[in-house]
Amino acid sequence: MAEESVGERNRSNAFVVSARKRALQKVAKKAGEGMLFSVAFFVAVIVLFIFYFVARDAIPFFQIRGFSEFFTSSNWYPADEPGEFGALAIIYGSLMVTLGSAMIAVPMGVAAAICLSDILPFSIRQYAKPVIEMLAAIPSVAFGFFALVVLAPLMQDHGGPMLMWGWWILVSPFLLLSVIVISDLLTANIKDEKRRQQRHWMLLIVLGLSSIFLLFKVGSVLNGIQILTGTNALNVSIILSFMALPTIVSVSEDALQAVGRDIREGSYALGATRAETIIKTILPAASSGILAAVILGIMRALGETMVVWMASGNSSHIPEPWFNYLEAIRTLTATIAGDMGEADQVTGSARFHVLFAMGLLLLIISFISNLVSERIVVRQRKILSGQ
Amino acid sequence: MNIGTRKILDRSFTAVGIGSIVVMALALMIVVVPIVYNGIGAVFFTGTVEHRKMLHAEFKRGDSQDLSSEVASSNRYRAKVYDMLTGFEADLETMAPEKKAEYQAKYSQVRTALQALLGPLPGDPEPMLTRFKYGQTRWEKAEEKLHDLLYESKWDNSNPNVMSKEYFVSRAIGFEGTSLARLFPYIKDNLENMLLPEFTFYWGFITDSSVDSHFFGGIWPEIQGTFFLAIGAMLFAFPLGVVAAVYFTEYAKPGFLNSMLRSANSTLAGVPSIVFGMFGLAFFINTMKVSESKSVIAGALTLAIMILPTIIRAAEEAILAVPKTYREASLSLGSTKWNTIATVILPAALPGILTGGVISLGRAAGETAPIIFTAAVSVGSAIGLADVFSSPTPALSWNIYNLASEHEAATQIRHVQYGMVLALVTIVLLLNLSAIVLRARISKKLKG
Repeated sequence: MAEESVGERNRSNAFVVSARKRALQKVAKKAGEGMLFSVAFFVAVIVLFIFYFVARDAIPFFQIRGFSEFFTSSNWYPADEPGEFGALAIIYGSLMVTLGSAMIAVPMGVAAAICLSDILPFSIRQYAKPVIEMLAAIPSVAFGFFALVVLAPLMQDHGGPMLMWGWWILVSPFLLLSVIVISDLLTANIKDEKRRQQRHWMLLIVLGLSSIFLLFKVGSVLNGIQILTGTNALNVSIILSFMALPTIVSVSEDALQAVGRDIREGSYALGATRAETIIKTILPAASSGILAAVILGIMRALGETMVVWMASGNSSHIPEPWFNYLEAIRTLTATIAGDMGEADQVTGSARFHVLFAMGLLLLIISFISNLVSERIVVRQRKILSGQ
Repeated sequence: MNIGTRKILDRSFTAVGIGSIVVMALALMIVVVPIVYNGIGAVFFTGTVEHRKMLHAEFKRGDSQDLSSEVASSNRYRAKVYDMLTGFEADLETMAPEKKAEYQAKYSQVRTALQALLGPLPGDPEPMLTRFKYGQTRWEKAEEKLHDLLYESKWDNSNPNVMSKEYFVSRAIGFEGTSLARLFPYIKDNLENMLLPEFTFYWGFITDSSVDSHFFGGIWPEIQGTFFLAIGAMLFAFPLGVVAAVYFTEYAKPGFLNSMLRSANSTLAGVPSIVFGMFGLAFFINTMKVSESKSVIAGALTLAIMILPTIIRAAEEAILAVPKTYREASLSLGSTKWNTIATVILPAALPGILTGGVISLGRAAGETAPIIFTAAVSVGSAIGLADVFSSPTPALSWNIYNLASEHEAATQIRHVQYGMVLALVTIVLLLNLSAIVLRARISKKLKG
């Protein structure tokens, strides 16, 4: 009897928390939250540290050499005594491969994203997604090895035919398609049906023949090209585009998915075909998200090190003419990776600090583009959610 | 536009979309297939008696009686070659001086080619480097060297407008009329008897350390280094990332501070990998002095910072994917917020968090740029667990670069490079595949 009542009292006591205990709990809760916050804050601290430590070793370079040489000269002789540190050609090389890979990856990536979000049925999409993930997962050094050991010799030995086939496969469908569209558009205003048909066929034949002539002419010119070195800007651009593709596809697919069903259905109801719906309504609605995807993809190409270090040829000069992708180039990332070993630990020398100046440049570019793409995504989300 | 054109445009639009996905799949195939095909060749190949000699001498592996009988039978065929050489050397002495000088040059080329094919010739001094102690260990390489022996390579520079072309001249013709002319057909016919090719499964490629900068042996030091770096990075990044994700999903209140922290996270995700390497050098090594110079710990810390944003994002997504009902049920039972997180939400989100962790592990294993200045070394043996705080390590990703671009005989050890790339790609893709499978199972489970 007595035992039972004690037990009962204890049980009821369990719900009565003393003021001291409650205060303790509150403190513990605050302390726990504070700990969680400090871990989350740690990320911000790291970012600040990265900026500080890269800038700390970059600023001495500008103190020693000033700004103008770095950005305007393309004489890169860091090992000479006294050295020359003109990075223009290197910056140009970085821009060149980034632009080259964007030209391949952006149209392909956006088309693939559209296909994944709007065209393919779910069952096929399930298998396409892992392919993209695998492509994203392959280490950059494996891509670099492929570029150096497989693609570069292939380009060197069969460069002309490869260019010709690339031209044929890529351009011929688009050329023929545009012939059909242009001849259709040009004759659309003719009222008389019979005359219109006549004109249409005439235009088709004339434009078709001339485009086939163009295809052959350019193809034979390309076939005659001898690629002197397989480690060139084109090689790197192709491989970098493979690496940028997964980012572009997945981010722009998210943007396309965010566009609601109602917009699509409205367009279909007005009699638009699927292509017209996508191009005229969905793409404009998702454009800012796609822009963000493109920025992120481009950043991946600009910041990539191993592929360009292994397969770009590492020659610091601006190609002749400036758009010649078949020449060896050198990029910022490859220069940092390659020269740090020789300049290592010699703090105080311009040769060491110039590499950090390049790193700072990369860091600032990536920071700005990240900020921009983030802003774009946030704004798109706001617009689409109707706020 | 008339309706026919619109239809064509619609179809071709679809075709472009599907085509670009097909191109992506093809790109994956084009990159992976040669790597897999040639990489397997590092483990399965046609090995010669020289390979078995090397294994026995360097790794104490294989049956010494079998080996000595094999060596004896191959030496019987080789003896004739050596006899021909000594015979020709004697002939050389009796020749007229200008003829002798002419043949002498050609003869020394033949000797070099023979040394490359069969290993040191009798009377040669013991070579200093292990790579010269053995002949060709792989049959396909032996065939290449046989070609070098039989034909002299020359370059045609006659037309200055095109690139010079390589062409081959038979060496046998150069020695016509001398006693050495018999050597070439003899070697061509008896190479199999001299090298005894035989299908080989060299599992040691994974577990052996390298001999003489990867001319022989395996890639264990690199594999181990990769594991040390990737797992070390996870040890730092995983707990931090999960805790940060818990903060972002459960405690963070919208506001300036929160958006700033999120911006910091996405900025960190966008920093080029080489900049992480520079930061690791400037901060961990030059400022914090976690180690004298490059070390595993410095590399692991650098990699940890690199994969932190990925882990945070994955963990956040996993936590947000836990159904609201779980949380409400737990809270309605009277448990505190913290208790709910620790006993209900985190266990439910664990598979998703692990998926993100596994993918990040793969990324840390495959990344090269951050470890160039902080942890990687070109040649070295496997390091012990106690040395991670002080010594650098070879790692797959870095050594692939190093062997392919900086090794003095990069073209001779392509099979090792391919083997390394295959090992790295296999590790990374297996991790990713398991993540994909894990994720599919979670989404099934969450659907109920």
